[in-house]
Amino acid sequence: MRGIIIREGNVVLKDGRGIPMRIKDHPILLFNLEPVIKFTFNGECLYGVMGDTVASALHAAGVWTLSHSPEKNRPRGLFCAIGNCSSCMMEVDGVSNVRVCVEPLREGMVVKTQIGKGDPYEAN
Amino acid sequence: MRQTEVLIIGGGPSGLCAAIEAAGAGAQVTLMERYGSLGGQLPKQTHRFFGSKSQFASLRGFEISHKLREQVESYHGIDVLINTTALGLYADHVITADCNGVYQKFKPEAIILATGASEKYLSFANNDLPGIYGAGAVQTLMNIHGVKPGHRAIMVGAGNIGLIVSYQLIQAGMDVAMVVEAAPRIGGYLVHASKLRRLGVPIRTRSTVIAAHGNDRVEGATIADLDDQWEIIPNTEKFIPCDLICVSVGLSSLTQLAWQSGCEMKYTAALGGFVPLRDELMMTTREGLFVAGDVAGIEEASSAMIEGKIAGLSAARYAGYEHPHFRQLIREANDQLANLRAGPEGLRIRTGIREVMVSVNTRASDDSANETLQPQMVDDYARTGIAGPSEIDRIWPSGSILKEGPKAIIECLREIPCDPCFYACPSGAILSFEDINDIPRIDHHICSGCGLCVTQCPGLAIRIVDMLASDIEAYVTVPYEQLPRPEVDQEVEVLGRDGSRVGLGKIVKVKSAEYQNKTMLVTFAVARNIVRDAVSFRLINSKESNFTDDNTIICRCSDVTRGDIRRLIQEGYRTLDEIKRLSRAGMGPCQGQTCGLLIMKEISEMTGMPMESIAQGTARPLIRSMKLGDIADGSERKCK
Repeated sequence: MRGIIIREGNVVLKDGRGIPMRIKDHPILLFNLEPVIKFTFNGECLYGVMGDTVASALHAAGVWTLSHSPEKNRPRGLFCAIGNCSSCMMEVDGVSNVRVCVEPLREGMVVKTQIGKGDPYEAN
Repeated sequence: MRQTEVLIIGGGPSGLCAAIEAAGAGAQVTLMERYGSLGGQLPKQTHRFFGSKSQFASLRGFEISHKLREQVESYHGIDVLINTTALGLYADHVITADCNGVYQKFKPEAIILATGASEKYLSFANNDLPGIYGAGAVQTLMNIHGVKPGHRAIMVGAGNIGLIVSYQLIQAGMDVAMVVEAAPRIGGYLVHASKLRRLGVPIRTRSTVIAAHGNDRVEGATIADLDDQWEIIPNTEKFIPCDLICVSVGLSSLTQLAWQSGCEMKYTAALGGFVPLRDELMMTTREGLFVAGDVAGIEEASSAMIEGKIAGLSAARYAGYEHPHFRQLIREANDQLANLRAGPEGLRIRTGIREVMVSVNTRASDDSANETLQPQMVDDYARTGIAGPSEIDRIWPSGSILKEGPKAIIECLREIPCDPCFYACPSGAILSFEDINDIPRIDHHICSGCGLCVTQCPGLAIRIVDMLASDIEAYVTVPYEQLPRPEVDQEVEVLGRDGSRVGLGKIVKVKSAEYQNKTMLVTFAVARNIVRDAVSFRLINSKESNFTDDNTIICRCSDVTRGDIRRLIQEGYRTLDEIKRLSRAGMGPCQGQTCGLLIMKEISEMTGMPMESIAQGTARPLIRSMKLGDIADGSERKCK
């Protein structure tokens, strides 16, 4: 049941319909499917839509493992989605320990899996 | 240092109502919200709310949130600070906060804590695999961001949240394999359970998840049945393939700031854990410190909003702005609260509130004072969510009435605080409620079968039956909130209360959802002899458990296992602080929000100490992480 990661060059997205886990039709709610926001995850190009957090965009694209636990290296995914727990800390634009579940997605963001507790010095 | 008259921490339903009332009384209000928008959990709620029509019942959660936000924005006296997290509450009533990355201090006259609650966690093997979420996370993903959290789900917990979120998962296009509930009965309102059963979702009481399976993410779960001692019954283990396990096993109040304030706290199981003592004006034992909403005890949003009103009025009065009708407004609000809590579903809340109420005046008429919390009745309906034939007999109209024309059938069989059907009925057929918890009564002679009540019932528990619609068939009109949208003349399987097929039918009418606040009215034709059981259709083609081993993760932030914790308890450590210092559990970024209660449970289980006697960890600022740099140069900077 692994999701599909859309690679650049593979698909050109006009709106969010091509993103695997996105809800396209809902009986009660209407969702943004555009504009599309482009970002990279570990060097791969992915797409989210306006209103996404980094985590929701990754999840929609099929990336469910966001981090690994510090001691036992166990895979961790989204858990609380409100910035409480430590499951989703990633490196975003060179800054470590960003809680991606509450970090709004912006065009051109560079998102990376973080190694251990991350780099204490900000790259930028 | 920023001065303000009333500082409200938390922009959910209670905080918003508090702000509106306090500003209405004339106080200058500062409202802090941790996230980028107001509304708390309301914007994630797509279901219609129960409760009183006079307090937003039958509106959907996101609509209520919208209305409250508009009111807040209409007051000049309310300063809203979004992206602002309160970090500490100090002895001199100073509050520190991370205000958009700037460290700020506030000095208010009165403080209202409306911080809400966090979800409880459950320990079972591999409970930290990606694909295991709290119910709140699932709602955020699918109802805010429009992202499916998975393909096939197991829901753990059949309280209101578990039942509602299961229904929402199906609306978002997912399968729900099963709802498991460790308790012997369904905890949520049975109309919610019936909605799921009609869609064919099994609800298994006395059953729980004991392990998750998968390497990088969930690929399945093992469930098992429990006996009366909450032990696993051997050989009942069953593997269920799924890629999502949603944990919905209750909430606990977010009380760190209350602990820091030094106000008196009490462990009250009926309210979800430790909550502050308070009086009828929602003031804690600390002068000028008020509470409202889930932080004062876990309850429904409808009560949280009323508590917010009371706290807002009281805090404004404390700051020197007494509303001209203060007494009357407080009395009305307390009456509304009493009304919401009056029925059998409110018994748990009533007993809990009595424990934490430092009463100003106990009303003589309060005959609830002698009630005790008895285990609720476990009949077949409460166990399965499927109303049996004898239950239906009680509400089914006689043959002669059904020959008069279309009639509303109200399958609302248990007392819950909810009354919108009465207000929806234009002909007076639905009799007025003496108590909002009453089971609705209908005079079928007067009922014209117009269907207005069908669209207003938050429980989707009303349908219209028309026995004379055609020469050979009856028509049944049901509320429908699923996809795909049915079309006239489409063949359907007609479903009974357990979601199984009772016959075949055909769609004869679809009333657009736009006029009924997104609830479609769908009429299908069905053979007369099965009409009693024809409650839905499917388009053709178209107690917490602790089953765990020593490798189970208790503290996610620092990867501390149950074995680590149990070894420390065996060595004689008995308090959260000791265990924290030795194991680092609770020192991580979440500051013990996830593991605190689980560690207390381990202590309690191993030592036999009751939960309330286990020493709490010392609550110190900051309750969330903040960059040192922001603290170093923050105070002088102005935040937006």
